Amino acid sequence: MIPETATAEWVAVAPLAELQRRKKKQVDVAGTAVALFLVGDRVFAFADACVHKGRSLARGTVWKGRVVCPGHQWMFDPETGRADGQEDCQPVHDVRVVDGVIHVDPRPRRVRNPDPQERT
Amino acid sequence: MTPTPATLVAVGAGQATATAVRLLRRRGFDGRLVVLGDEPHAPYQRPPLSKEYLRGEADRDDVTVLDPAWCESNDVDLRLGTRAERISSDGGAHRVHLAGGEELRADAVLLATGVRARRLPGVAGDRVVYLRTVDDADRLRALLPSAERVAIIGAGLIGSEVAASARDLGVQVACLELAPLPLLGQLGPRMARVYAEMHRENGVDLRLAQHVEAVTETPSGVFVRTADGAVEADLLVVAVGAVPNDELARASGLPVDPEAGGVLVDAECRTAAEGVFAAGDIASRFDPAAGRHVRVEHSDNATRQGTAVARALLGQSVPAPEPSWFWSDQYEYGLQFVGAPRPDAEVVVRGSVDDRDFAAFYVADGRIHAAFAVDRGGDVTAARELIARGIPVPEAALADEDIDLLDLLDAVEA
Repeated sequence: MIPETATAEWVAVAPLAELQRRKKKQVDVAGTAVALFLVGDRVFAFADACVHKGRSLARGTVWKGRVVCPGHQWMFDPETGRADGQEDCQPVHDVRVVDGVIHVDPRPRRVRNPDPQERT
Repeated sequence: MTPTPATLVAVGAGQATATAVRLLRRRGFDGRLVVLGDEPHAPYQRPPLSKEYLRGEADRDDVTVLDPAWCESNDVDLRLGTRAERISSDGGAHRVHLAGGEELRADAVLLATGVRARRLPGVAGDRVVYLRTVDDADRLRALLPSAERVAIIGAGLIGSEVAASARDLGVQVACLELAPLPLLGQLGPRMARVYAEMHRENGVDLRLAQHVEAVTETPSGVFVRTADGAVEADLLVVAVGAVPNDELARASGLPVDPEAGGVLVDAECRTAAEGVFAAGDIASRFDPAAGRHVRVEHSDNATRQGTAVARALLGQSVPAPEPSWFWSDQYEYGLQFVGAPRPDAEVVVRGSVDDRDFAAFYVADGRIHAAFAVDRGGDVTAARELIARGIPVPEAALADEDIDLLDLLDAVEA
């Protein structure tokens, strides 16, 4: 067994080509549903269950550089997982693409929840 | 340009006011802000009251929309349990007259008094609930779990959501609707039938074209007699629409919509009185695209109009009205509707109606006028943009799942 370390343990989840057409895809990462999004030419990964009401973000939309939840149209910054005008923050997973294959860090990145009043 | 006002008094403490006040402070508005709420409770969101809150899955903190602690630290004077009765204006200077006789001076006033549940004459009692306020929701939340059977008059959004929440709690539901199909005016016959089926599949005894003739409280419950039948239940919920709280506007001499009620405002949410705005359920706003005033009783509309008022007060541009949008979570389904119903529209379906995974587009003159979707919020996002911009869309593309609807927008922009 490989001992757990502080560094990312990348999990290969899908070829980049699979994300090209619909720009979104739900994958399983170590037993957890993760939503992949292609925004411009960059790949981002969120926990799939929306932090608001648990709807699947992979069923949502990438629109104007934001990930839009299909449940209630919360709009998330793909970099940080911050929702426009909301207090909640979607868990974000680090992503890297190696030889055309998307790899995801199974552990969500820690993002400090910002004071929503400070944001525009 | 008019100067930024020194004092804003907001009458009504719901979604529109909360949005306006938060945005004003966030954008650096340093004038005095007073929020008057006639209920004793911290301002709250209403959409969860028929859903998560009713089912006991959310509490007061979860539904709070304007936190008293935030008001305190942001110098917002939140006055709860305070009713305003009238505004008197002298040019741009206003006085808001409170029920106790106190008067508040204001340079700007936001009227956001909302609506109240429409009542059926003579229908009231210990086992009869009208759902509008958090107090109403608390009453229903206390009564519902111990009920074996609930009767609901009205299969509109509130009636439907209460029905779905009651079924989730294992309570039998009989729902009586006056129209031949639920939400018929909104959805049109084809989708209204689908909507009715979804409720029946989830165990609702949905009875259509029902004229309620009498409601009687019995020692053990409520007896509802209709023209062609009867329902006995432990509890009755009456959900037959809402009435605008426009008495204050009328008492203040502000023009109101003679038919639908509500305060008439222009596209920037300004009433006829300088410095007096109205937003949310109460506001009948001029929509330049439609060429008429439109009053909308949905949360998103209140948010957008609260934003419009804040921007107008800050001297910023006010976005034009957007297609009306609402959601309704019922059972496991996320339902959404965007746009304005149009009776002559053709319905084009994308996805599978049978699998309850589809978007229905209402198309006329080669353009989308509205969309209704079940678990297809993404398609609604696209539809909203297509409607707002009046972009012509081939019907074949709407039905073709291999075509990304947002690409249709991009194609136009390119």
